[in-house]
Amino acid sequence: MSAAIRALGAGAIRIAEEVGGIVVLTGQVLRALVPPRIDWRELVKNLHKMGNRSVPIVVLTAFFAGGLMTLQSGPFVKKLGATSLAGWAAGYAVLREIGPILIALMFSGRVGANNTAELATMTVTEQLDGLRALAIDPVRFLVVPRVIAMMIMLVALTVIGDLVALLGASVVGRALLEIDWSTMYFSFADNLKPYDFLHGIYKSVAFGGAIAMSSCYFGVTVRGGAVGVGKAVNAAVVAAAVSIMLLDFFITYLSG
Amino acid sequence: MTAALRFTDVHKRYGRREVLAGISLELAPGGRLGLIGPAAVGKSVICKLACGLEAPDRGMIEVLANHVVGKRESELGALRRRIGMLFQNYALFDFLTVANNVAFPLEQRGGMTAEEIEAKVAERLRAVGLAGSEHKLTAELSGGMKKRVGIARATVADAEIVIYDEPTAGLDPVTTQKIYDLLAADQARTGATVLAVSSDVVALAQFVDEIAFLYRGRIIYRGDAKTIADAPDPIVRQFVRGELTGPLEAA
Repeated sequence: MSAAIRALGAGAIRIAEEVGGIVVLTGQVLRALVPPRIDWRELVKNLHKMGNRSVPIVVLTAFFAGGLMTLQSGPFVKKLGATSLAGWAAGYAVLREIGPILIALMFSGRVGANNTAELATMTVTEQLDGLRALAIDPVRFLVVPRVIAMMIMLVALTVIGDLVALLGASVVGRALLEIDWSTMYFSFADNLKPYDFLHGIYKSVAFGGAIAMSSCYFGVTVRGGAVGVGKAVNAAVVAAAVSIMLLDFFITYLSG
Repeated sequence: MTAALRFTDVHKRYGRREVLAGISLELAPGGRLGLIGPAAVGKSVICKLACGLEAPDRGMIEVLANHVVGKRESELGALRRRIGMLFQNYALFDFLTVANNVAFPLEQRGGMTAEEIEAKVAERLRAVGLAGSEHKLTAELSGGMKKRVGIARATVADAEIVIYDEPTAGLDPVTTQKIYDLLAADQARTGATVLAVSSDVVALAQFVDEIAFLYRGRIIYRGDAKTIADAPDPIVRQFVRGELTGPLEAA
């Protein structure tokens, strides 16, 4: 019993330390932005690496996610003779929830994990100390461009993913449920509001920040060699997934 | 005269293990000091403390008339630009090419044109025998080549203090001699103060003026490099001669 309580306490302390560490790192990133002295070369490199190379996987995932929404709701709306709502049902779910969450989780698994592994390897091979020895702040040089790139690129990928998901919903509606293109189009246009789209974008900004900060934090605080790098990647992906779910809940709850 | 590097009663502990138990060390400007001792005794820690990359638990560290202890990262920047450091594990930036690694300190300091930087980098790479490897990534290099890139980067900016942590580890005897000749020529040209950590005591003794022996958290011996093999302390003597029996074994 006492061992269980000890383990629970140790776990709580570890989580508190990690959350505190992420908050401190966030403060350092914000401080590094005033005045904004960004290494543009690093930023552009990261924008390309994190964004462009993620497009194919996001397009594939979003297309089928949109199609799935129509596949799930289609039979019911057809049964009820409300095919004009098929697009709305798929679009509403995609723009407000499925799109931002799914793309954020994909992004975390692909870009966040890669970022943690990269920073963690640099940490264990003393490259961060090498930067400090040359009077270069690793947060300003390595972390800030990555955080900015991840936040910008997740929003951009979410916009692309939203559009592709709506296309996927339409294609599946036409191909499998015989809902014609114009019905889907007007279902989107008449029922979806700009706020539905913006709601998802707000979320992707927050998710991007959470993925960026957790992946960078676990990367720069890693201890040990290859085993430590593996643990850091694991911890970063788990922390990002939990953060995404919590943020999603609270943003939805607070903004309606 | 003010010392270029001064440690006064410096303590450093990692967990329960006290690595440095009151180190006091002084190095005059332009001096060359070698630091030796058994593995994991804290030699690299001393190098990092001198750069302000680690903070001591207690004691005072003065580098080029600047107190290092208690300073924030942003306050140490100006001092670090006056120090060159070769890390034991190279610490090369794997996102840069060989040439960009060597050019990095010069680019960050500013004040030089791209052509001047290019010429300086080419000269350094020639000196360490890596001409022609400019465009390689560090992942494509052998350990010895990485070490030489690290030396080129540590010396490219003509720093006032240069710290070499195992400058010749993993290099063959001929390359080791070449590297020490290069370091000696560099030091003669710039007049830099040098702190060098090495396990290759024989080669190190050719390069430095004095050698200090670190053991159990303390400097137990410091003396002329040329006569280190005949040091009065039996622990130092055994270590330098590589004898299997003696007080080191008993410890």
